[in-house]
Amino acid sequence: MKKRVGIPRALLYYTYYPLWREFFTSLGAEVVVSSPTTKGILNQGVKKAVDEACLPVKLYYGHVMDLIGKVDYLFLPRMVSVEAKTYICPKFLGLPDMIRHNVDNLPTLIDVNINRHKNDNQLYGAVYQVGKMFSANPYNIYAAFNRAIKVQNRYETLLQQGILPFEALSVLERGDGGDKETATPQQGKDLTIALVGHPYNIYDNYISMNLIEKLKTMGAMVMTPEAVAPEVVEGEANKLPKKMFWNMGKKMVGSAFHFLNRPDVDGIIHLAAFGCGPDSFTGELVEREVRRKKTVPFLNLTIDEHTGEAGIVTRLEAFVDMIRWKAVSQ
Amino acid sequence: MNCFLGVDVGSVSTNIILMDEETNVLESMYLRTQGKPIVTVQRGLQDLAGRLKPGWHIRAAGTTGSARHLTSVIMGADSVKNEITAHAVAATHLVPGAQTVLEIGGQDSKIIVLRNGVVADFAMNTVCAAGTGSFLDQQAARLNIPIEDFGPIALEAKSPVRIAGRCSVFAESDMIHKQQMGHNLSDILAGLCEALVRNYLNNVGKGKEILGPVVFQGGVAANVGIKKAFEEALEVEVQIPKHYDVMGAVGAALLAREAVAKGQPSKFKGFEAAQEDYRAGSFECGDCPNLCEVIEIAAGEKTIARWGDRCSKWANSVMAEESAV
Repeated sequence: MKKRVGIPRALLYYTYYPLWREFFTSLGAEVVVSSPTTKGILNQGVKKAVDEACLPVKLYYGHVMDLIGKVDYLFLPRMVSVEAKTYICPKFLGLPDMIRHNVDNLPTLIDVNINRHKNDNQLYGAVYQVGKMFSANPYNIYAAFNRAIKVQNRYETLLQQGILPFEALSVLERGDGGDKETATPQQGKDLTIALVGHPYNIYDNYISMNLIEKLKTMGAMVMTPEAVAPEVVEGEANKLPKKMFWNMGKKMVGSAFHFLNRPDVDGIIHLAAFGCGPDSFTGELVEREVRRKKTVPFLNLTIDEHTGEAGIVTRLEAFVDMIRWKAVSQ
Repeated sequence: MNCFLGVDVGSVSTNIILMDEETNVLESMYLRTQGKPIVTVQRGLQDLAGRLKPGWHIRAAGTTGSARHLTSVIMGADSVKNEITAHAVAATHLVPGAQTVLEIGGQDSKIIVLRNGVVADFAMNTVCAAGTGSFLDQQAARLNIPIEDFGPIALEAKSPVRIAGRCSVFAESDMIHKQQMGHNLSDILAGLCEALVRNYLNNVGKGKEILGPVVFQGGVAANVGIKKAFEEALEVEVQIPKHYDVMGAVGAALLAREAVAKGQPSKFKGFEAAQEDYRAGSFECGDCPNLCEVIEIAAGEKTIARWGDRCSKWANSVMAEESAV
């Protein structure tokens, strides 16, 4: 019987799922993803999680609980750093411990350390350690990892073409070779809005209150940091007086600065999660730059566990009205 | 004569205005919503129907405020717009040249930055309602003074006391402390006005470029103490438009006028809508783990609108029934 590996549909799922999935399936395991976020999943998570955690971490708890009983392993790597000289965020560092101590009846945890902060050599060691749980053959592990890297690269290429993760995942799922016919750039919209935030906030339809869909319905094309090339992010983020050491924060700030310089971007929305430390910094850094430039309208939205949509809708409507009104008057 | 109806249903007050083609406000009403938006709107419309002069014809209607969708279902509206846009539109029409709009209502407060008659930036208070009308109401009641006297008493202050305005709970304990120390009422009230203004400018107004002319609107603009505190903090004159307390409704009427500018027929159902028996109910949909709370509005026996479901299947089912008819 195939070993079942559970992956919570939360946090870095939106960034690395293709990599993880390809690796485990190549080694003969079955990958099980938790259900899309619902009120039930969020409530479960909020109840279990420590109060000080941010909203996305609380949601992660809910997704872990959704997988209990359905899988033999739970893939919960300790993601310390994914690139040189940056860190993810302290809450990611402590995630395996938080889960282990707060959630009962857990399956076997796969909680290897991923830390590329100082050197890259550590990475394959971690990969091999996980691979050994599924295959005794070192070559198989190596081959699976290579395949996984290829799929991940393809996913990132799709994202950089402006395809949103949800669609990019289904393109990969279908497994068709050609990117061209599957790439569906958004068309027929009169506005372009850049939505800047952590991937796990902006792409989770439940906690983002369907923000991307709402913007599309209002006639806006949506651009996200995932569509900005890493070199561009790096170049823009270097304009900060001090290096930002959160890689996700750096991506948000760098891409927001990039969007600020693009004539085709009509407005920038920063989506912050309640209780997120880095978000409070990135929001402020972006807002200050926006105010200095005074060219692009900016909106900062904060999401939390409340389900009331009225506040978000009012602000979004007013933001879009403002942009359109401005366009008419010019 | 063609008239335009604007209705702003907020958490604390419901405002209804009637405007002519030349943007003159003919009738205006300020009602307390008291948690019953449907009944309040119906009562207001009934009242307004009685005040209509012969020949007045409602050419178009618009709604705004947090109950704008609910209200539009009941009375039929040509424009359903958020309150930020409505307030901005009203300010640009009634105070030409305005560059900043400060708006403080019952439970929310906002700032709108206008440049060349167009919204350039805005912000709204987040979860915290410190420094809005409800808090002033509450404090006036605690001190046993009518809310109307709040401002004039504050103006008499010789040396306003410093009150922590960051949070209304702390502000209240701070006020009680100052009062027990022996400070007089006018100094405490003036201190509270300054604290509210400080809080507003630090939260809602954070990072915004506040240039004159500055317009102050919303129910709290009636409070001369707050007006003075704003003037001192900003060092500019603060203007209060004549219809400061119903500006949202004025904006809604202006937006309605715009919506039918190309000669479209109005969706306004007429004042008979005020007589009909509307019932609002809700149920929890158990079809998926989202457990959405679905709101259902019924006129007599017929369900006329549903919302609140994330997947829209309940909302769409009403529309499907409608298009089938």
